Amino acid sequence: MAGLFFNVLIICVFLVSLSPAASAAPQKTNLSKPQSCTGCHGEFSSVLPAKHPRVAGKDISACTSCHAPDPQNKATAKPYSSKLHLSHMQPDAKLDCLACHTWKPGKAFGVKGAKKPLGTLPAEGMDQIRQIFASWASSKYLDAHHGKKNVTCSGCHDRKLPESGDTVASDRCLACHGDIEKLAKKTEPKDFPDRNPHKSHLGTIDCVVCHKTHQPSKAYCLDCHKNFNMKIRFGEGGPGAKNASGAAK
Amino acid sequence: MKDGDSEQKGMSRRSLLKGAAAVGAMAGLGGLALNLAAPGTAEAITKKLPQKWDETWDVVVIGSGFAGLAAAAEAAGGGAKTVILEKMPIYGGNSIINGGGYAAWDEELHLRQKKNLGNDSVKQHIDDTLKGGDFFNMPALVEVMAKEAPDALNWMINEGGAQLSDVLVIGGGHTAYRAHFSAHNSGKDYTDALKKIAEKRGVKMALNSQVTWIWRKDADPKSPVLGVEVKRGAKVLNIKAKKALILASGGFSQDVEMRLAEWPKLVKEFNCTNQKGATGEMIRFSKAVGADTLHMNFIQLFPFAEPEAGILDRPAVYGFSGPGVGVIYVSKTGKRFVNELDRRDVCAFAQIALGPNMKPAYTIFTDAIPPKFGGKPAEIEAGMKKGRFIKGETIAELAKKIGAPADVLEKTIKDHNRYIAEGKDPEFNKPMKKTMIPMDKGPYYALPMWPAVHHTMGGLRINTNSQVVDVFGAVIPHLYAAGEVAGGVHGSNRLGCNATTECVVFGRIAGKNGAKEKA
Ligand SMILES: Cc1cc2nc3c(=O)[nH]c(=O)nc-3n(C[C@H](O)[C@H](O)[C@H](O)COP(=O)(O)OP(=O)(O)OC[C@H]3O[C@@H](n4cnc5c(N)ncnc54)[C@H](O)[C@@H]3O)c2cc1C
Repeated sequence: MAGLFFNVLIICVFLVSLSPAASAAPQKTNLSKPQSCTGCHGEFSSVLPAKHPRVAGKDISACTSCHAPDPQNKATAKPYSSKLHLSHMQPDAKLDCLACHTWKPGKAFGVKGAKKPLGTLPAEGMDQIRQIFASWASSKYLDAHHGKKNVTCSGCHDRKLPESGDTVASDRCLACHGDIEKLAKKTEPKDFPDRNPHKSHLGTIDCVVCHKTHQPSKAYCLDCHKNFNMKIRFGEGGPGAKNASGAAK
Repeated sequence: MKDGDSEQKGMSRRSLLKGAAAVGAMAGLGGLALNLAAPGTAEAITKKLPQKWDETWDVVVIGSGFAGLAAAAEAAGGGAKTVILEKMPIYGGNSIINGGGYAAWDEELHLRQKKNLGNDSVKQHIDDTLKGGDFFNMPALVEVMAKEAPDALNWMINEGGAQLSDVLVIGGGHTAYRAHFSAHNSGKDYTDALKKIAEKRGVKMALNSQVTWIWRKDADPKSPVLGVEVKRGAKVLNIKAKKALILASGGFSQDVEMRLAEWPKLVKEFNCTNQKGATGEMIRFSKAVGADTLHMNFIQLFPFAEPEAGILDRPAVYGFSGPGVGVIYVSKTGKRFVNELDRRDVCAFAQIALGPNMKPAYTIFTDAIPPKFGGKPAEIEAGMKKGRFIKGETIAELAKKIGAPADVLEKTIKDHNRYIAEGKDPEFNKPMKKTMIPMDKGPYYALPMWPAVHHTMGGLRINTNSQVVDVFGAVIPHLYAAGEVAGGVHGSNRLGCNATTECVVFGRIAGKNGAKEKA
């Protein structure tokens, strides 16, 4: 289809773990200064395993010069981790994407120090990434819940940046959340078994009809059955519905 | 979905302005106010024809209910590359939540003959429909619906695997047992069957795809519609329809603004039985490219909706299916207030006339009655737990539970039993039937009900080929409409179960004809 907005490869694909020592609390952030790793962490050694050779430099290119980001997820040795996103995208970190990434609007988007760009990215795409990443890292919705379990973008979407309006096929959800029949069993209300959102008179509907990811979830049933007492997790105002089923196994 | 080509041939960058101005001018002659020139309106005059198309199909169908699915299935059957665009995140529209009723004077199972339920004919079906619509109906359209009714039902059974329930019902306004019900009393039985046929024939369906404009160069009678603008998420695309654009976008019962514009009485406080997407934008866009409409103020209330949320759930069908076998409707006074076999508009307004503090009214029946129209004890059991049915071992007990005077309700039921025996209803002149069962043995049940906006009889003006006609009576090339979005079949009041029939019959016609158009 013509007019694809983004064809950058998803940046948050599984480049795996940098290090366990991430507990080293960052020092103060100062947005007015150019953002660098050492601006907060002082020395790279504070976040690296003891045996790691000394690293010189200020920003992420110090890492990516040895640990190539691997968007294809084919890495064999020491790939660079996208898990790093989660802690660095927390609101109090006040970090912008461009602290670690390189980008020319409409052109190449990459990681500092890496040889190959990840793809091209127009300005709207960058806006979207900023927004979605912020949501993924700290919202009250399903994206942040996945974030906490380190399920990154490509855990649900393909390796391409999703276009606005793209949805996630239910197979993808069910790959982790299991068999729909079993799910349905868990959400069968004791009082009225036929008011089961996973087994309704509408038949099989897409998971994302109710379970929104970057916005509040909402039970579609309630559009018509306004008087039903039906709760959904990660709805308006946060998690809710404590015992809702469907946690990934 | 298949990538479309990016055909640019012949698409001059001409603005719609010219066409719109022409419509305006001609409408002026025709005395209609198609005020497309109003600045800042949604139908923005500055819209330019697309320079390129993001997708190209032979036939583009808008809406995934009965009409859209039937149209798409037949278009694909005629060899057309066909797509269905549906704005909601699920398929099926009002059709998938429909009660499964289908009016046909016959079908290949010959249920009526087997059950010995009297006579019926095409003519009788036509006559009832015309009478029920106060003869506002376009007779030629009614004829098509009635004639094709059995065949369209057979098609869903044979090719789609639809199954019928083993009952036949006489609904308000019908004079024969012709209301068939699907196995699960749900329109989903039919939508699934139609979807199966459509998919087998290669139809593609795109959900979350809202049509936001119809492209037509100008209102010249030879000027075909070209395609549509579609919003998918935040993305806007243009989709070309080489052979036909088929509108099967349903009614506008949920479109309060359009409702009020046509019938100010139907304020937003009225409940509505429809799905949320039952809004009228496709009618607006069609008018903007010259289409004519009719009967827009004929809007039906469903008299028996669940009073709280206004839904038409399974119990709400009891109120509709029961009168032929003896249920009665009573108010809180314990008295009947209408001929239960009367039309929907009569039954609905009889309730509204009782006054707002008389909500809800009740359908009353005993255990012997529901099995006659396909009601099941298990349904009643389940419905009782939900508070949908109220039960009393005696009439007095029931009366107490619904706040009616016991002696009055007792008399009402006794009188009605006598009317059944005598074959005459001196109070409301109901045509009494031999199939009616007297209520002489408890337990007794009451089912609360109140009218809710349900169906829009009016819509786009079509001819018997399902082609949309413009304000001057000329066919708009390549533009078809079928189902609830089209007007004229039902006149001022739709008889229950005629909608499913209309949708499948005209959907098929639109699809077959659309596929035959020259690209
Ligand atoms: C609860 C209920 C029960 C009923 N029971 C019966 C019954 O038993 N028997 C009977 O005969 N009739 C019944 N009716 C009426 C009948 O079901 C409807 O008239 C019929 O389903 C209409 O079918 P349709 O294909 O025309 O439209 P729909 O089935 O409503 O489908 C239209 C679709 O078009 C979509 N759409 C609208 N605008 C756009 C747009 N701009 N872009 C993309 N998509 C769009 C809508 O979202 C919708 O999905 C019932 C109606 C309701 C609401």
